[in-house]
Amino acid sequence: MTLQSEAVHRLVLGAVGVGLFLAIWQVIGTYRLAGMTWPPLTDVLAFIADPSKQGLFVRAMLASFASVALGYVVGILSGVAAAMLGQVLPIMRPGLDRLVAVIHAVPLVALAPVFMVLANRDLTPPAISALGVFYMIYVATTSGLKAASHTHRDLFTALGSSPTSRFLRLELPAALPALVSGMKLAIPVAFIGTIVGEWFGASRGLGLLMVSAMQNFQIPLLWSAVLIVTTASLALFGLMSLFERLVYGRFQ
Amino acid sequence: MSGVRTFISHYWGVLGILLLWQAWVSISGLNAIVLPSPLSVVADLVANPAIYAGNAGKTFLVAVLGLAFGLLAGVLLSLAAWTSRLLNGLLTPLGLIFSSIPVVALIPILARLLGYDMRTEIAIVAVAAFFPTFVFVGAGLKSRPPGSDDLFNVLGATPWQRLLRLVMPAAVPNMMVALRLTAPEAVLAAILAELLMGTSGLGFMFREAAGRFAMERAFGTSIIATITAVIVFGLFMAAERRVDALWK
Amino acid sequence: MTETAIHLDRVGKSFALDNGKQLTALSEIDLRIGKGEFVALLGPSGCGKSTVLRLAAALETPSAGRVTIDGKEPQALSRAHRLGVAFQDHALLPWLDIFANVALPFQVAGRKVDDARVKELIGLVGLAGFEKARPRQLSGGMRQRASIARALALQPDVLLLDEPFGALDAVTRRHMNLELQRIWSAQRITTLLVTHSVDEALFLADRVIVMSGRPGRIIRDISIPFERPRHPSVMRDKRFHELVDELTLALEPEGAAP
Repeated sequence: MTLQSEAVHRLVLGAVGVGLFLAIWQVIGTYRLAGMTWPPLTDVLAFIADPSKQGLFVRAMLASFASVALGYVVGILSGVAAAMLGQVLPIMRPGLDRLVAVIHAVPLVALAPVFMVLANRDLTPPAISALGVFYMIYVATTSGLKAASHTHRDLFTALGSSPTSRFLRLELPAALPALVSGMKLAIPVAFIGTIVGEWFGASRGLGLLMVSAMQNFQIPLLWSAVLIVTTASLALFGLMSLFERLVYGRFQ
Repeated sequence: MSGVRTFISHYWGVLGILLLWQAWVSISGLNAIVLPSPLSVVADLVANPAIYAGNAGKTFLVAVLGLAFGLLAGVLLSLAAWTSRLLNGLLTPLGLIFSSIPVVALIPILARLLGYDMRTEIAIVAVAAFFPTFVFVGAGLKSRPPGSDDLFNVLGATPWQRLLRLVMPAAVPNMMVALRLTAPEAVLAAILAELLMGTSGLGFMFREAAGRFAMERAFGTSIIATITAVIVFGLFMAAERRVDALWK
Repeated sequence: MTETAIHLDRVGKSFALDNGKQLTALSEIDLRIGKGEFVALLGPSGCGKSTVLRLAAALETPSAGRVTIDGKEPQALSRAHRLGVAFQDHALLPWLDIFANVALPFQVAGRKVDDARVKELIGLVGLAGFEKARPRQLSGGMRQRASIARALALQPDVLLLDEPFGALDAVTRRHMNLELQRIWSAQRITTLLVTHSVDEALFLADRVIVMSGRPGRIIRDISIPFERPRHPSVMRDKRFHELVDELTLALEPEGAAP
């Protein structure tokens, strides 16, 4: 009862906080308190809703979201595959760890020249997304595969489990919560990868739109592109948080 | 013999990527103008130490200063939120939201708002560091050793004593975690800010090199950027270890 | 005496410590457990009693001597899926319901799940109607019942119980002792129970072995005379109290004895 009212209280306060933030955004924009480059929220929303701009946004969104999705899926699949490889063939493990550490040490932007040379420019955004996601998922999955308790491992040993059965029935299910947390945290990473890749010279996309709007003082366009990207990333992040809660309830 | 085996077992992944790279180049027939040879990259590094060092130093400065300001702001705001339940309720969800958006998307907006100069770059890094710090330190302020609150009540501590002797020290390890986690992002944000605004630093070198298709310069910059990122990251990781050794 | 099931033949076990030294956990342990016998291993914490069980459960290998079950290595029994184990931590898989948890040994052994057998076991441990429940929805005592049902699933040759009720409160624990006796009486499987509760050992076992630590060795081997099935009133018996006193004294650290 009190716990529930506490949760409601927190939810209401949080909503008020977000509402206040949006109101302050609106006031600063309306009265030009931060100069001409801070538009009111309503102007940005009106700009996004403007039918004549629809084509522009839809084209950019399609390009960027396709890149995010491609990078996200490729990153997850390769990250999980690499982590499983290290688990099934422990001899591969040190090399994989070293490779992943190297990938992580390189700032995403420093990889852009490599991709520009190796692939075409339109493949650079999804490739950078995929690398960032790969790192997150590899780390999450390897730590997840270690999550099964000692007693559970003892149980499987005493039951005379084969390595395959242990992997499928114990280690893999026990790794799911960590994997899903990694998938949640990888969402903003996938967006960052795509935006950075596009800044390095893709031919389409929201990242490109941001840069050109910034350089040409198209203030409502700039804020619209940023608002679309952050909203999309937040919405997916929220969805993954719900999914994460579901998985934790079931598997932990 | 066993040394070779250890080397291969540790580096087969990195070697494999390099081989794949070479294979890609050979098969797709990229010419040397597009893909620089490792030698020409090294030659460019050696021939222009001042350019590389100067720009890397500047990026390093932007990243570290930005981290420091972001950390300071994050700590101050989380302390403010700690003093008031109302403020805490209002700010915590906002902090969570902002720390989970792709923060690099805010760079163009900040650049336009604050103008193209180094202060803006520092501000951009600070913003990138601010939200995670706020969230982590906020959580740290709430997670005190079990029973310590009761102890301070029994001792009749004033709120100020409680803050200084219990709450703040308890939050320090979390603050170091926030720093370590945001350090790589800070370097990335610094380079990207320089790239977009084209003022100076490693980001500017990327832009300039890509603009005139000087690929040996672009690759050289990649190497220096990686080294800079590793130094910043290593610095904060060492600091975290030092703090953990004192605190835990 | 009947045929020997579990045999520890001058078994020693030492572990390498981080500082390079050797820790001798067990030395010169000689123990025979007969077929169908229920033996309780009693001792203070750290005396190596769990190590004895882990040796029999194929979770450790002896540094000296030999451990056999029905003349075979424990590893061979584990590979043949002939071991039943339950631990203090119930070790139920949180993502499976109770039925699937009890059926797990069938799947690990690569056999078709015998639904009737699983149902029967769930009934035997008093969990009928909870087949679809998840471990987290059950009380501590119910989880231990499920973990004992799982241990019995493949009709193992030996049952190895490592402090199965150690995490339960005193009332639930006493109740579970009664239940375990009932379940065991229905199957009469060779059982090794590790416990630090004198009452539990006396109430359940045919024989109580007392161990002392550093290094672990056997200091007492006492046959328990009470008839089966045992009623809780046996715990008020004069003989029971004498045995409790005797064993409690045996468990006292050497320096503390008068």
